[in-house]
Amino acid sequence: MSAAPNLLDVTGLTVRFGGLVALDGVDVVVAEGETVGVIGPNGSGKTTLFNALTGLLAPAAGDVVFLGRRLTGLEAHAIARLGIARTFQASRLCLDLSAFDNILIGMHARRRTGLLDSVVRRGRLVGEMRAAIERASHLLALFNRDLPRRGFERVGQLPQIDRRRVEICRALAAGPRLLLLDEPSAGMNPEETAELMRDLRIVRDEMPGLSVVIIEHDMFVIEGVSQRVVAFNYGRKIAEGSFAEVARHAEVRAAYLGTETAHA
Amino acid sequence: MSRDLAGVWLAEAAVFALVVAGILAERPWALGATGGALVAAGALVRFVPRLRAALAGAFARRRAAALAGGAVLALALPLALRSSPYWTFVATLALLYVTTGQGLNFQIGTAGVINLAGAAFAGLGGYAVGLLTVAGGWPAWLAVLVGPWAAVLVGTILFVPILKTRGHYLALVTIAFVFIFNILVNNLEFTGGPQGIKNIPTLSLGGYAFTTRPALAGVELPAHANFYYAALVMAGLTTWVLRRLHDSWLGLVLNTLRDDEIAARCCGVSVTRGKLLAFSIGNFFIGLGGAFYAVVVGFVSPPDFDFGYSLVMLSVIIIGGVDSIPGVVLGACLLVPLPERFRFLHEYRLLLYGIVIVVMLLYRPRGLWPARIRRYR
Repeated sequence: MSAAPNLLDVTGLTVRFGGLVALDGVDVVVAEGETVGVIGPNGSGKTTLFNALTGLLAPAAGDVVFLGRRLTGLEAHAIARLGIARTFQASRLCLDLSAFDNILIGMHARRRTGLLDSVVRRGRLVGEMRAAIERASHLLALFNRDLPRRGFERVGQLPQIDRRRVEICRALAAGPRLLLLDEPSAGMNPEETAELMRDLRIVRDEMPGLSVVIIEHDMFVIEGVSQRVVAFNYGRKIAEGSFAEVARHAEVRAAYLGTETAHA
Repeated sequence: MSRDLAGVWLAEAAVFALVVAGILAERPWALGATGGALVAAGALVRFVPRLRAALAGAFARRRAAALAGGAVLALALPLALRSSPYWTFVATLALLYVTTGQGLNFQIGTAGVINLAGAAFAGLGGYAVGLLTVAGGWPAWLAVLVGPWAAVLVGTILFVPILKTRGHYLALVTIAFVFIFNILVNNLEFTGGPQGIKNIPTLSLGGYAFTTRPALAGVELPAHANFYYAALVMAGLTTWVLRRLHDSWLGLVLNTLRDDEIAARCCGVSVTRGKLLAFSIGNFFIGLGGAFYAVVVGFVSPPDFDFGYSLVMLSVIIIGGVDSIPGVVLGACLLVPLPERFRFLHEYRLLLYGIVIVVMLLYRPRGLWPARIRRYR
């Protein structure tokens, strides 16, 4: 497809929940710097794909190769450390912690100071923390210039759109090669969704090397940000191509609109 | 600026004077008056916003001076309590609860590892000291330093198999562990059975026995003053170490694990490593409190470490403020002396703690001194 080497190679990925086949032999590739949109009706296996990629679910069969390494069998935290970061459909922020703390956790895997520095050589830890908070401020400011000033507030006190931004910043803070966004516009009104699209373009412009896979129900978002679209239904990949190609695809139309309409 | 300083020290001195007066008051009316004054002072600060803001600002600007003032008053406490030596012992106990409470808070409050076996891990520290000194002939100070490792070791062995269990299951396993521990020490030969281990030698450093009554500039201090000062150093060091660990990567990792394990894993946090670290570090300080208890009291027996004491430690945390390091200090200094002051409450101590916990959880779930946002200073 593209000349650049693939960052992520998924082949024949299958996930079963008892008798239910949630993902059925799915092949997906993501090239470096590419944004791939994932669409499909509810229950078609989109989030299951993310959960299998990030190690939260163990696939029954198939292979995931990321940066030339097999991910199958690795624990979630090990996969995260290799450079895959994600957000969740329902926010998974720690609402009692500050916005900065929620972003800093994304950076902890690359910390240089240990327990000893925390207690006795405190200067090293404080220096590292200051730099980390500065980086977090910089990330927040990309999306909303006023947000860094509220960094030490509980994240639960921020409005919905800013919380979503904090969550994206947490994922970016890890310095990932691949970012998985699970329906970032969930629960947003049209204005907020427009802001979100602007945010996603900022991510694109600021981090051109970053590959993004985005699950979305909002077709305007998918059309606006993704270079390639993959469509799922009943755990299988039913179509792949540009947004226009996928939107025209008969099986995709059937999945969204029902077979009666498709035959008509 | 010097007004701040005066305000800070005046407020601390006032609280100190009222607490000492409350402890020493013999007649009911005197006790009532000091109690009333404490409540009135508290209400004044709580409900007069200007006073509250002024005091909060002064304490924030003069942190070092406030800490120094608190340290001086803590050092002066045995001097003030000379007329009633028993109270120096109670204050020592409160400081032991600060130590164990900080350890337990690191597990329950910071990491969300619900450990209801605090009494058993303190008991492991205490019994280790008893066995090392009485059977092994070790000097007491060395046993106190080594004893807590028994709690760490047993805790690690116990915890590895149940690490995968979450939330309430972990709590249930730890409850079972307290009872198993109690049945074991009650029935095993080498732990002395129901009699426990008696005649644990007292602390002595360089030939100076801690049971000697120290004299300060010609004024003789109560018998337990040496233990009080040692416990003060121990509680202070514990609080200092755990505050620094809390305001670091480790504290952040553990808070995230507590609030959302899945998010933490996807940020590269190893659940096993995080929880094991929290459990081990916490057990060390819980065991340290138990080990020190053994040399203060001179004996250990099964009822000293039964399930009730786990609940007392838990109450200290809930009343002070879950995940709040100053809260633990406050909780221990309130919960341990109060039932001693009102002896008629002593019988109903656990009932009282139970009521206090329910009231706190209903009306002030973050505790009297809620946890603050981490600032990494």
